Amino acid sequence: MQDYLIELVKNAGADAWEINDVQKNGWEFYFIKHKLDQNRVKNTEHTTVKLFKKSADGQYLGSAVSEIAPTASKEEAETILKKLLFQASLVKNPVYTLNEKKEVAVKETSFDVSAIARNFIEVMQELPETDTEYINSYEIFVNGITRRFLNSNRIDVTASYPSSMIEVVVNARNEGHEIELYRNYTSGSCDAAALKENLKKTLLYGRDRLKTQMTPALGNMDIVLTTDAALEVYQYFANRMSCGYKYQGLSDYELGEPVIKDAAGDKLTITARASLPNSSGNCPFDAEGAPVRDLTIIKDTKAEHFWGSRQFASYLKAEDSFIVGNFEVAGGAKTSEELLGGEYLEIVEFSDFQVDPMTGSIAGEIRLGYLHKNDETRIVSGGSVSGNMHKAASGLHFSSETVQYDNYIIPAVTRLTLTVTGVE
Amino acid sequence: MKAPFSPYLTGIAPAIKRLIAILGERYEYVSILSTDSSGFRMSVGQRAVSVANATMMTERGNVVRVMKDGLVSEYAFNTFDPEHPEKTAEEAMKALDAQFEILKITGSEVYETGLLDDEPLTLFVEYETETLPETCDQEALIAELTEISNLTMEKGEGLIDARLNAQSTHISKMFISKNRDMRQSYVYSEGGLIPIAFKNGKNSFTNAGVSGRVGPELFRQLRDKIDDALKVVGELLDAGTIEPGEYDIIASPEVSGLIAHEAFGHGVEMDMFVKGRALGVDYIDKRVGSDLVTMHEGALCATNVTTYAFDDEGTPAGDVIEIDHGILKTGICDALSAKRLGTRPTGNGKRENFEHKVYTRMTNTVFDSGNDNLDAMIASIDHGYLLCGMRSGMEDPKHWGIQCIIERGYEIKDGKLTGKIVAPIVMTGYVPDLLGSVSMASNDREIFGCGGCGKGYKEWVKVADGGPYLKAKARLG
Repeated sequence: MQDYLIELVKNAGADAWEINDVQKNGWEFYFIKHKLDQNRVKNTEHTTVKLFKKSADGQYLGSAVSEIAPTASKEEAETILKKLLFQASLVKNPVYTLNEKKEVAVKETSFDVSAIARNFIEVMQELPETDTEYINSYEIFVNGITRRFLNSNRIDVTASYPSSMIEVVVNARNEGHEIELYRNYTSGSCDAAALKENLKKTLLYGRDRLKTQMTPALGNMDIVLTTDAALEVYQYFANRMSCGYKYQGLSDYELGEPVIKDAAGDKLTITARASLPNSSGNCPFDAEGAPVRDLTIIKDTKAEHFWGSRQFASYLKAEDSFIVGNFEVAGGAKTSEELLGGEYLEIVEFSDFQVDPMTGSIAGEIRLGYLHKNDETRIVSGGSVSGNMHKAASGLHFSSETVQYDNYIIPAVTRLTLTVTGVE
Repeated sequence: MKAPFSPYLTGIAPAIKRLIAILGERYEYVSILSTDSSGFRMSVGQRAVSVANATMMTERGNVVRVMKDGLVSEYAFNTFDPEHPEKTAEEAMKALDAQFEILKITGSEVYETGLLDDEPLTLFVEYETETLPETCDQEALIAELTEISNLTMEKGEGLIDARLNAQSTHISKMFISKNRDMRQSYVYSEGGLIPIAFKNGKNSFTNAGVSGRVGPELFRQLRDKIDDALKVVGELLDAGTIEPGEYDIIASPEVSGLIAHEAFGHGVEMDMFVKGRALGVDYIDKRVGSDLVTMHEGALCATNVTTYAFDDEGTPAGDVIEIDHGILKTGICDALSAKRLGTRPTGNGKRENFEHKVYTRMTNTVFDSGNDNLDAMIASIDHGYLLCGMRSGMEDPKHWGIQCIIERGYEIKDGKLTGKIVAPIVMTGYVPDLLGSVSMASNDREIFGCGGCGKGYKEWVKVADGGPYLKAKARLG
């Protein structure tokens, strides 16, 4: 970002301002089987400016935001700023103040985009594939990000960190039939051991998917989630604790009150974490320049702190809040082994499992499940699960062991009762 | 008026051509897509208002595609000095060379591809629009949206908010290669009225949307959506749950569109044929639906948010009949996949933006109309549901499974709507079974362009889809 742009913003006539500048050096490799489909590099910079304007009576604070391209001329930048100031004057939101300058612990992070990319390629070459369970295709994305945030309250912080993603499609086949499983992993850099372990398991799931029977109509049934699909369950609670949801009336949670009515399951504790090992959410400050730290959001099922953007946090008087990048859900009372008892359907593949944070609706088509019933295990596919978290949450159980999926640590096993639709 | 092509892109075009010439000394094929798309997004509610000069498709940047020795490589950038294109050429070559080193070290083999076609083509298109986003009277628009929000709150019961979303984008794209110079400019807009209600600990909402390849004048239509939106959100608050099972259904045009998109649209994206990820490749010229099922896909088969003149690879837009009276005829294809499959591209090579790779993507995906009317369709059902409103869907091209999450269902018994409403509904099944069961199609159709489409869980692009009311059999839960 050129310095003259900062000066233009400072002198634009706004009552307050923010600048977010993100430079990205991205390396991408796309493979079909293990042959390179194409390689890509991106070198980009995105500078986003937000201007704030108070109403004449001081009651309202409006804002408007725009990207100013690095190729914009000085005249073009001035025109954009003038427009932003006008747009901000049209917006009538209650007054709030921007984040103040505070100490931010920025650790020097050393990373090498090319080395991370190489790690990913090598992991994929070392998987235990067979003639019947193998990799169909994969896409590797490694970004080195440098983010700088400045505002009119003297904040000026910069951090650099890696952010990676790999999408993998696994195939399995027998005589006359072939199936696929889809995986998408995000992380900071490449955790070779975890990725290898997870993909080994996926190859085994692929083999099982070839042996499935149609899921029977089970009606109300205990569902067990042991993959990242369970994130949806915990994100439902985390989202409803966000200041935006609360202020806009989309969440009925109250501080000090239980977030689950008539809870008969495990006690839920969710904590914001300043950092987690190899998380892509590890930036020492949030999108508005607030330093991130550990903060308890829900403690023993009771709402403790709302979290979120400065605007909505200010309206809720959650003054010490910030936009959370990492969450940790504490484990429950029982071990995974203890939770995997009785009759239940463990679902390890959905087409798309969703819990709507606004309505609580739960839905997902089953692509691979293990039905434990009548002292036998059947491998099933097809049909769907449905329900609503308002009801299902009261019987939510989860394991004492936890597992990390990028920027979330959650219990390894999650168990709740839902409706299963299948063949009659 | 015509949507004017970007002066910025016009200004850099000579330097882009010079950049192509420099890179052409080293690579066997070079093309550059340059974009300069601007717009705005407004969200107005009772509790908060926001304004941003950004939408899903606003961007300014460039992406170079080069080919050498059968390998395709790309370099995306958004800092560019038109006085010194050689600097960008040097940066691109250096960056790609660094990647080749890693590929050598890891012993990665190349999926070799013949050179992309570069037949001479010149095109300059500025599509008509009534107004432009950049000249929209935003003060008047915020006032109008605020008034609609207030009116909705006054008329509704148990509402906690009535949000209005309005976004309008002016797209300018330029595709240049050694033999092609293609430039296009158009405007599209989309908006929605979202009343949100709360009762007995339960939230409900709906999104009454409008869309089109038109300017911000579109948002005048939002006022007409109030009564319908309030009716739906009230119904959702009191809706029951469905008894899971297989039913006769009538898919409303919005749900027909979701089926077209998820059930079959993704299944015939031919980059999936290259990877062996689509069952469709084995079903060309075979029956996949009843005689009543004819499905089109293409930027030119309807006019909506994704109706362009050429795609992001410089292929002119098309109109493909994918299913003709129940028989699968062909799929849609980007240029690279077409080269690999030995077929012609169909104008469906799209990027999320200049930073992203091209994939085969949908544009307008629509079922043809039939000869029936809705009343007769309802009268023909002993026990089933009229399905309305879409929430989401997920593709499964390899197995032709289908997952559609539908907003609500109206019960039909003995040929009549009973007044009982269930919500939400998960529709699952096997695509050929679902399309094979289509037994009636209404003589009208609608197309919706408010949504976005991902490939897997990423690569979001604008799409539109729709169709008539379709009667079929499906598993609901």
